[in-house]
Amino acid sequence: MTSRNDVEFADNISRRRYLATIGATVAFLGAQLVARPVLGVEGFQLEGFRRYLWAINALGLIALTLPIGGWIFGRRIRSLVNDEISRGHGRMATGAGLWVAILIAIAILLTPLGRRCSAAEASYLIVTPVAVIVPLYFAWLEARAHRDG
Amino acid sequence: MGDELRNRLREERSKRGLTQAELADLVGVSRKTINTVENGVFIPSTVLALRLAAALKTTVESLFRLP
Repeated sequence: MTSRNDVEFADNISRRRYLATIGATVAFLGAQLVARPVLGVEGFQLEGFRRYLWAINALGLIALTLPIGGWIFGRRIRSLVNDEISRGHGRMATGAGLWVAILIAIAILLTPLGRRCSAAEASYLIVTPVAVIVPLYFAWLEARAHRDG
Repeated sequence: MGDELRNRLREERSKRGLTQAELADLVGVSRKTINTVENGVFIPSTVLALRLAAALKTTVESLFRLP
């Protein structure tokens, strides 16, 4: 594989990464909309295995924005895929996620829900939107970077 | 990112008959980095600006300037 091909290969991997990020995030969001474990009259409905599954998925989605992965492709491809701009996009997306988390936390604190909101329910209400917004914003920034013109 | 910086990267690259991928290879970054710098979406670090200038055999000042 020549050096030039490395750049094109890394470009291809990077495109696949943002497309996969969008797909995984939409699937996660869809699962949450179907399950709707919060805001029901019975209280928070996310127990046992489903709770761990949600946490692993949420962490996995946020981890997609970290400059890690691609170990099987070697050091050069890894550094090209996770170069200066991708690391910057990861930081921007994480920063946006932090703001979303703060705003939701304040909203939960100030909004009268009519019943007690447990710590687990508050965590879900804060982390789920963050786990959707961070990877989607990252994917949008990456897609914009790939767009020619 | 965010602040405005004018650049002549596309002109200098075209003058040397390089594609974005070829310049990316010379500099050791991805093609999307070259693309975003050319489009003014991304302001490169000092190190990347120096590498770009060296690859195009020019100076940073001739590649980038404030509006």
